[in-house]
Amino acid sequence: MSDRKLPRLLQTPAVLLLLVWMLVPLGMTLYFSFIRYVLNNLRRPEWTSPSLSNWRGFGNYEFVLNSKDFVLAIQNSLFIVVSILFLTVILGVLIAVLINKAFPGQGIVRVLLISPFFVMPAVNAVLWINMILDPVLGLQGIAVNGINDVLDNLRTMPVLGGFFSLWPEFEPISFRATQTSAIAVIMMVTWQWTPFAVLIFMTSLQSEDQQQKEAAVLDGASVWSQFRFLTLPHLGRPIAIVVMIQAIFHLSLYAEIEIVSRGNGNKNLPYLIGEFANNNIGAASATGIFAVILANIVAIFLLRMVGKTLME
Amino acid sequence: MAIVAQSSKFGTYGRPILAWAVGLLFFFPIFYMVMTSFKTDADAVKPEFLFFFTPTLDNYLNMAENYDYWRFAKNSVITAVLATVFTMFVGIPAAYAMAFNPSRATKDVLMWMLSTKMLPAAAVLYPMIYLAKGIGLYDTKVLIVTVLSLINLPIAIWMLFTYFKEIPKDIIEAGKMDGVNTWGEIKEILVPLAWGGIASTALLIFIFCWNEAYWTVRLTTIDAATLSKLIEGNRAPEGLFFGRLSAVSTAAVGPIVVLGWFCQKQLVQGLTFGAVK
Repeated sequence: MSDRKLPRLLQTPAVLLLLVWMLVPLGMTLYFSFIRYVLNNLRRPEWTSPSLSNWRGFGNYEFVLNSKDFVLAIQNSLFIVVSILFLTVILGVLIAVLINKAFPGQGIVRVLLISPFFVMPAVNAVLWINMILDPVLGLQGIAVNGINDVLDNLRTMPVLGGFFSLWPEFEPISFRATQTSAIAVIMMVTWQWTPFAVLIFMTSLQSEDQQQKEAAVLDGASVWSQFRFLTLPHLGRPIAIVVMIQAIFHLSLYAEIEIVSRGNGNKNLPYLIGEFANNNIGAASATGIFAVILANIVAIFLLRMVGKTLME
Repeated sequence: MAIVAQSSKFGTYGRPILAWAVGLLFFFPIFYMVMTSFKTDADAVKPEFLFFFTPTLDNYLNMAENYDYWRFAKNSVITAVLATVFTMFVGIPAAYAMAFNPSRATKDVLMWMLSTKMLPAAAVLYPMIYLAKGIGLYDTKVLIVTVLSLINLPIAIWMLFTYFKEIPKDIIEAGKMDGVNTWGEIKEILVPLAWGGIASTALLIFIFCWNEAYWTVRLTTIDAATLSKLIEGNRAPEGLFFGRLSAVSTAAVGPIVVLGWFCQKQLVQGLTFGAVK
């Protein structure tokens, strides 16, 4: 065996494993998406095992496209992902700029800040929806009660009481309801992923050209214009990468949505796939193919960016 | 110059105060969870912010009884450790080949590996369940270890590749002159040289395996169920049991959060595939 062949052969196990891992399930999903395949059907028992004789063509795709949940799920997926991206990037840049310069306890603050990122998603969701956002027992409920108590006391004051009695009582919000459960998911995921953005932006800020900055200070550039014309352009690439990596992760959010509301009024594509798959594997597979397409649109951009730096 | 003076004033007082406030705010939910884990269930659901209370260890002592914690924890440890070992075992030779004997296709192979990471899990879950049940591997540790390894293999290879690239090729070549074979090169030269990079890659992969919540929850029922499954199984508003729920949650995330503190830098590399330095 030649000098170069053996070393190259060393990558074959990894390549083969990943090839099988990708092609087999994806091929099966594609196959299932074109046949009638359900888990239970007493009248048509032949549909309960996958077979080419149950060919349905694009029927599953039509069924999925025509279900009103599909449009809602896409809308909701995008609403959740875009909101999280918006919040994490803005908070991430602000916090990274804030803690990038040395101050007493910088190391400890970094450790405090990064911690949420390592909390497992299920714990994150259980903690937030029960102990923080619950309208009665959570901190939210406790805080609203506290404010109302203070207001009650103010109302009994001799003169100003009349003024305060014009104020309404505050109502705690239930984050398990249809309209609010997406907000709860956005809050908990933002809490978890802002640290990730901060960490990446900080890493990038450390390679910022300090001489250029000093020159700008000597030229009398304001803090804002330093940020606007030096720091922000420097962060352009990391921001793009944070956006794309998060988009890929958050398009497949599941645990948080399941735990907050069991998808009540707040489904995303993975959740919809799960619901279809309770019985209709064909429809679930067709939805899965749509999810693959959506993820690929994001992935192409990410791969291009990463590819550029690969061989530097 | 006025601006410089102003910003230094902010630097002395404003920045530390604001930074500490932000840090404490982000840590607060974790602190609150840990604090609640030392409350009795009765104290934990009092509708007031109870900061002073008589701490109790009961929630931790009763964890085995209330949640069968140790069985899930054991599964988490076993599957995460084995998956990490297996990933490194496949990943190190692959990254070695790509870093020291690159071909024209290497870049494309790396990109393709990365792209497998972007396949939405939900899209391929049901074929996996079908296959796993078909070959009798559903709800076994073998299956979970395999899946955890495969979803993390691309990240491992990428991280190792970026570490190995930094090692001068001459050192590896020198080994060749001495008549060391390929395995010897990896074992005797590469691994000792890149030990730091290999260790931090393994650490990060371990964290990812531990926190994985989609596959591990949906491919298990009892026998191979991990801590993610335990917590998701107790998602219902437990109402009166905040104390014990906090204890089991703290026990599930505590070790990993502490591990995470030690590999912040590697996290950046691992998650951005070396694109942010």
